[in-house]
Amino acid sequence: MVDFRSYRLENGLRLIVNEDRSTPLVAMNILYDAGSRDEDSSLTGMAHLLEHLMYCGTENIREYDLPLQLAGGENNAFTNNDITNYYITLPAANVETAFWLESDRMLAPDFTEGKLEIQKNVVIEEFKQRYLNQPYGDAMLHLRPLAYKRHPYRWPTIGMEPAHIERIVVEDVRRFFDRHYNPGKAIVTLSGNITPGRAYELALKWFGSIPAGEEYVRNLPAEPEQTGERRHTVERNLPADALYKAWHMGPRSDPGFHTMDVITDLLAGGESGRLYNRLVRDLNLFSEINAYITSDIDPGLVIVSGKIMKGIDPETAEKAVVQVIQELKDTDPADYELEKVKNRYESSAVLSNTGILNKALKLSVFELLGDASGINSEVEAYRAVSKTMIRDAADRYLNPANCSTLYYIASKKKGK
Amino acid sequence: MSSFRRTQPPLHPFDAQIDIPLKSLTLGNGVPVYIIEAGTEDVIRFECVFRAGIIKESRPLLASTANMMLTEGSVNYTAEEINETLDYYGIFLNLQAERDTASLTAYFLSRYFEKAMELFAEILFRPVFPGTELEKLMMKRLNWYRINREKVQKIAGDRFLESVFGPAHPYGRQVAEADFEGLSPSILRDFHGNFYRPEDMAVIVSGRIPDSAVTSMEKHFGHLRSEKIQSPAAESPIEGLSVKKDHISKKGAVQTAVRIGSATINKRHPDYHGLKFLNVTLGGYFGSRLMKNLREDKGYTYGIHSIVSSFDKSGLWMISTEVGRENSSKAVEEIKKEIKLLMQKPVAADEMEVVGNYMAGELVRSFDGPMAIAESFRSAWEFGLDMSYFSKMMHTIRTITPEEVLQLANTYYNIEDLYEITAG
Repeated sequence: MVDFRSYRLENGLRLIVNEDRSTPLVAMNILYDAGSRDEDSSLTGMAHLLEHLMYCGTENIREYDLPLQLAGGENNAFTNNDITNYYITLPAANVETAFWLESDRMLAPDFTEGKLEIQKNVVIEEFKQRYLNQPYGDAMLHLRPLAYKRHPYRWPTIGMEPAHIERIVVEDVRRFFDRHYNPGKAIVTLSGNITPGRAYELALKWFGSIPAGEEYVRNLPAEPEQTGERRHTVERNLPADALYKAWHMGPRSDPGFHTMDVITDLLAGGESGRLYNRLVRDLNLFSEINAYITSDIDPGLVIVSGKIMKGIDPETAEKAVVQVIQELKDTDPADYELEKVKNRYESSAVLSNTGILNKALKLSVFELLGDASGINSEVEAYRAVSKTMIRDAADRYLNPANCSTLYYIASKKKGK
Repeated sequence: MSSFRRTQPPLHPFDAQIDIPLKSLTLGNGVPVYIIEAGTEDVIRFECVFRAGIIKESRPLLASTANMMLTEGSVNYTAEEINETLDYYGIFLNLQAERDTASLTAYFLSRYFEKAMELFAEILFRPVFPGTELEKLMMKRLNWYRINREKVQKIAGDRFLESVFGPAHPYGRQVAEADFEGLSPSILRDFHGNFYRPEDMAVIVSGRIPDSAVTSMEKHFGHLRSEKIQSPAAESPIEGLSVKKDHISKKGAVQTAVRIGSATINKRHPDYHGLKFLNVTLGGYFGSRLMKNLREDKGYTYGIHSIVSSFDKSGLWMISTEVGRENSSKAVEEIKKEIKLLMQKPVAADEMEVVGNYMAGELVRSFDGPMAIAESFRSAWEFGLDMSYFSKMMHTIRTITPEEVLQLANTYYNIEDLYEITAG
């Protein structure tokens, strides 16, 4: 059970505090309701580039990291399709430095051409390092536009291509910042050695005077229902062929969300999932296989991906995957198997509540989804998934017409 | 803009508290158990450590394969049953063979303690190494190996270790495709018999520990004795390659991986704490000189890091980064410039303060909660050190002078003798 208090400042900022006296530290998490789905389709990668620029100083504080390091703090951030999330941990005695730094960059970051140029280079190197220069690193760059035709989930957070990042100018950054980085779009969560009263007092002092800013109503194009199977093949000189399959599913708020998560765990949770047992252990078709949901706020994807063993052709490997999925529709899982999957969720939920940073992040995300207390009811939501729900969800979503399939196959020409 | 925003709120001192709640006891057969009782949730971190790392292997892949095969079938359970049961009880298991040690680390809910002990005793001491499972594992591993060889990071990193420690020593020895054939169940059984002896195990338990924990451990581990006498592994000397600079060409790569460094001292050396301080200054945190220069000023890279890590028989200093092809020689030049600067000029007082405070904060974080405390404890224990290793670190952080840092740089940054490996 994670206890917390919630507040809302007049400018719309939400504050959540989980007091945990067992640690000498405090974690501060700031979630902005802004992700790559909010980008212009010709300037993709913007949300993530802005995350980088947020570390480049403000009019009041020239350098972000230095004062935090002096306070013994550490920080990082990530951007995904839906959110941009910043976090800090630091000794409790110095928590005010975190309020000072975070409030000031919400108020007045100092974007300049020079800083932008440098961070564009850094981000393009990140693009190369993580997506272009890794075997299979560009899979999502191919799979997303196959699965999504209209919704902005059709591009990845890093951007569609480096050229988009190259063409972003300071005005674009400023516009995106002004629209999304407002108190009403931010959730500040503290977990650790601090009382709710003290946190509230500091939030008022540092965030209270930030203007509410412009009102932005998100209006994204809905993804039309997919009505036929889609396929794409990438030829690469790689040592192993690979298979990716993606099916559309409901949004994060859909009651079926947990069911889909349970399904992917039945398929590939731990080393005893069905796909692993059957296709890796028994039949030796894959060297590794995974199944997961993207957990996006708008309708997301169920993805199965695997590296195919040498000498096995991708069609055979794919047929075997489809067969395992068909069994979900034909036969109910045994009580023991379903119980196993739910036990794993309980265990991982409790384990993730042992760290202040995890608690702060989870509280923020649940608050964005509508209610921070979701942190305390997620295990129940998984426990409530029934065999009928699993069969219905598999019938509804895991069909060929709703599926996009991506192959990586070796180039025809031999040798390197 | 209101002027109160221009000044940092007052800072308060915050040294790490290193007096941890550690208890130790010995099981009937002499196995030492270290217990760290802490935390707010009913969860356990449980770790068994053996001196069964890569340094003990007579051929490549032996230590890691023996370790990975532990869950592939035992006297009483098949591989499927072992994995099914672990998952059923929500036990997250991590098997690892590192350079010096091999371990089983698990995270689970406190209420399954007894069940977990029963399973771990089976996994660790009654594996049967079935031939069919072994064959499948080796095929999978070959597949992973081939994929890894496509990564410039991996290509450069492997060649770097080979250069620093030499191709004959297990720290530097490279794996080739042929090594994936020829490991038999009997070789694994031998290795297991020699190096996974119950009497040579150490156990570290942390979290909210149930009252019955000691009884459970005694029941499942305390009576175990080994049949074999440990035969010492042949030791080859560490001898770095004479070729210091090398480039491995990788067609189609859009980035070049850079690895620069050398062998160095390890945790047992009295200078190690100061060397850590020096290393953080150079490339051990976001505000480090390398990060500021190559990322924040020049935009050459997404990241650059310098690490100093300890092995039983040596230590490793390694700077690593990936840069756009066109910038690779400029990047190497800048790295060397930063190293030289630390050898020539004392670090200014304000930078000393930032590094010190950053490191003190890291030390606080590494004692935050039962999981972190256990990891910290293990990292010192493995080298025969106790918690005074961390008190000394705290002391060094607070008292080291710019002159001492300068001297350390001149002692340990052998600039003319660095290995410099690039791939891309």
